[in-house]
Amino acid sequence: MQTKRTIFPNKLLPYALLAPQLAVTLVFFIWPAFQAVKSSFEREDPFGFRTTFIWFENYARLFADPGYVNSLQKTAIFSVSVTLLSMSLSLLLAVAVTRVIRSNRAYTTLLVWPYAVAPVVVGILWWFMFNPTIGIAPYILRGLGISWNHRIDGNQAMILVVIAASWKQISYNFLFFVAGLQSVPQSLTEAAAIDGAGPFKRFWTIVFPLLSPTTFFLLIVNINYSMFDTFGLIDATTNGGPNQATNILVYKVYADGFLGLNIGSSAAQSVVLMLIVIALTAIQFRYIERRVQY
Amino acid sequence: MATIDLIDLKKNYGNVPAVKGVNLRVADGELIVLVGPSGCGKSTLLRMVAGLETVSEGRIEIGGRDVVKAEPAERDIAMVFQNYALYPHMTVRGNLEYGLKNRGTPRAEIDRRVQEAADILEIGALLDRKPRQLSGGQRQRVAMGRAIVREPAAFLFDEPLSNLDAKLRVQMRVEIRKLQRRLKTTSLYVTHDQLEAMTLADRLVVMNGGLVEQIGTPTEVYDRPATVFVAGFIGSPPMNLIPVSSLSGAPAALPRNTDIIGIRPDALFLDPQGGDAIALAGKVELLEPIGGESHLHVRLDSSGQSVVLSVPGRPDIAEGSAVTLHARLADIHPYNAQTGRRTDETVANL
Amino acid sequence: MVENRPWLSFLTHLVLIAGVVVVVFPVYLAFVASTHGSGDFMRGLVPLLPGPHLVENYGRMLTEGISTAGAPPLWIMLMNSLAIAIIIAVGKIAISLLSAYAIVFFKFPFRMLAFWIIFITLMLPVEVRIIPTFAVVANLGLLNSYVGLTLPLIASATATFLFRQFFLTVPDELMEAARVDGAGPMKFFRDILLPLSRTNIAALFVILFIYGWVQYLWPLLVTTDSRYYTVVMGIKRLAATADAEPLWNLVMASVILAMLPPVLVVIFMQRLFVKGLVDTEK
Repeated sequence: MQTKRTIFPNKLLPYALLAPQLAVTLVFFIWPAFQAVKSSFEREDPFGFRTTFIWFENYARLFADPGYVNSLQKTAIFSVSVTLLSMSLSLLLAVAVTRVIRSNRAYTTLLVWPYAVAPVVVGILWWFMFNPTIGIAPYILRGLGISWNHRIDGNQAMILVVIAASWKQISYNFLFFVAGLQSVPQSLTEAAAIDGAGPFKRFWTIVFPLLSPTTFFLLIVNINYSMFDTFGLIDATTNGGPNQATNILVYKVYADGFLGLNIGSSAAQSVVLMLIVIALTAIQFRYIERRVQY
Repeated sequence: MATIDLIDLKKNYGNVPAVKGVNLRVADGELIVLVGPSGCGKSTLLRMVAGLETVSEGRIEIGGRDVVKAEPAERDIAMVFQNYALYPHMTVRGNLEYGLKNRGTPRAEIDRRVQEAADILEIGALLDRKPRQLSGGQRQRVAMGRAIVREPAAFLFDEPLSNLDAKLRVQMRVEIRKLQRRLKTTSLYVTHDQLEAMTLADRLVVMNGGLVEQIGTPTEVYDRPATVFVAGFIGSPPMNLIPVSSLSGAPAALPRNTDIIGIRPDALFLDPQGGDAIALAGKVELLEPIGGESHLHVRLDSSGQSVVLSVPGRPDIAEGSAVTLHARLADIHPYNAQTGRRTDETVANL
Repeated sequence: MVENRPWLSFLTHLVLIAGVVVVVFPVYLAFVASTHGSGDFMRGLVPLLPGPHLVENYGRMLTEGISTAGAPPLWIMLMNSLAIAIIIAVGKIAISLLSAYAIVFFKFPFRMLAFWIIFITLMLPVEVRIIPTFAVVANLGLLNSYVGLTLPLIASATATFLFRQFFLTVPDELMEAARVDGAGPMKFFRDILLPLSRTNIAALFVILFIYGWVQYLWPLLVTTDSRYYTVVMGIKRLAATADAEPLWNLVMASVILAMLPPVLVVIFMQRLFVKGLVDTEK
């Protein structure tokens, strides 16, 4: 790994410099993660007196539990929907904004601020919009002959959280797509124009393929976001319901561990989640490797 | 005022030797230029003197004091870097003062020295600017100023002119020379540009492959290159090095063991000169007029080797025509290919 | 590009305006709701135009809160959020600057190990290790404290990598010149490196301030004392009054107030915000 050509000769100073970061990491990250892994292989008796090592029993039970399998499915549906919806809308907006010149900055400002809105606040905003009694969306939908009540209808609940989660992520995707689009050399699209390609054809044959690194990067980031950063959003809108219809993994691990106090199962769930993050991070860094040398 | 002594100085990077044992004494007030191709160890040598590289073996003495273990700041040296290394967030004044402040120099003394350096370098009007507001030449002056204000025992220059354009480089070269004469500060100067080396140096140290090839005044080095390497490195266009075996009828007068002879391009003539030692037949490949003189590239009939001669004016010779080149014995530098050294002297030129 | 297709320009603006409407509308609606009296929500549809109760609603939430929902006055929660966001941002930047400095400017045994330990934090978001982390904080007696709210969040691989990348671009000669000028490691850090990192620090601060402000799960776990509530988690309590319909006008006033500080930061420091966002993902 790289350092400077010349380095300071001090022997102890670097350890002192690293100490705060490493202390926080070890105490609040590594140690708890280790604990989670440990208790995922254990069972605690009801009074907490004794723990027994039970190998993979927690895991076996977890994957045999229809509730957990349901949660896995819901997470997949939620994640894929949010990623697709949010990324396609963002790409559309990013392409549009790079076409305008004068009002570019104004549009950008108006589009990026939802990044700063907390997921739980996003949840409340959309919950208000879709509130079955007074919300504006159900009112309009009623006019179209659709009856909306996400408190009863699981599919509608899923639609609600997907829309809310995508809304929040548009700003982030938008900024990265704009950056990606700006790095596509103008000369290429000009060459294609001279070759007789119209704007739509140019986009799909030249710009979109060249954008693939950005698209891939955002794909990973969005999956990551929808799986792990949406706890507050779910908590504010559906609480995982109705009838587990929106009980995604991060919500379930919290509900089972904190509200249900099922330590072994919650620990096993934590470990599964960790493996998912590790996989996503590994994919992301394999891709970034080409740009960054570690 | 101080001398710098390098005694058996070596540097290894792991198993790779970069400097293989250098002995050198820089006299008080002398300007010595280390010159050589990239990778020859000249920069490593300088950085060891500065304390920016550790010493693998040997000693460095500045003013008679062993400094091998000393921090750069304790060596009483100042350094001018290739990219100037000005602190970008400080004003010119801040840059000049920084080293003095760190040493706890009194305020009045700092002001006096900064003013003096600014006067010498004519950068008084720039003192409140940031480095990014300066031109390349001005930055170079500030970098010099930062060295001057320290009033150190020695200046170390690490290719200080290579980031400047050609015209400015010549101008700054002259200024550095004048400045060093005026301040009489012992200086070590690293460059890969042999013209810069020739014009600046009191003495030259020509380095190659981690070793010193020759130490001497510019005239000594030019007139009597000690090795084949120096012969090929110093001088532009470079000296022609011709294997004796390819000469038709080697002149009898060459010293024993001579198998390569070197002839400078300006010592080859198209017409016979009195007392010619050799004559070489060949064909003109290319004629390059470069103003006051022309370079003639000639391919020798005997070996197919290409040699260069510089001739005054613009000779009326068509490319492709046959010529005979003449050289005087006195202008021929005889070498032995095995040792790489001159064959006309018995004592090594170190 | 020289190209004149009026319908395409029209379409472009149409798309953008539609996008802006989608993005802004939920917040507009919340704002409108926050300006009405509580009786205005009985008619079966939310009002679409601002009402006359803005000052009253916001004033009440800031100074009194809704005691029945167990939420203290909003200004206390806003101050808590502000404090926590700043502590987290400053803390992350400080410890990451130091560790990046150690990794780039020194060579020492276990350097790679230290780097990987820091790297691992990327893979362990708080959501996946909730219970054991909570247990650690509880055992240390840090529940209901600012330390407990912030300290477990201030390790940062992202910030460390960002500063590491930046330090590697600082020319070697600058550090060498400083050493020749008599600066030791900490002096060089303070006099040269920190001033040079200003822009990066500012950009990162914007991102990390937002990160700290929007934290929800962690404050929810470690605070039971309303004096330590942050505004983001407090709102949830307001909205979640189980039996009755929430007091929409007051909830929405709180929502607007909770959104405002980080959103203003993004709008007014847009350049730094974008730089920070793009840099941290490199």
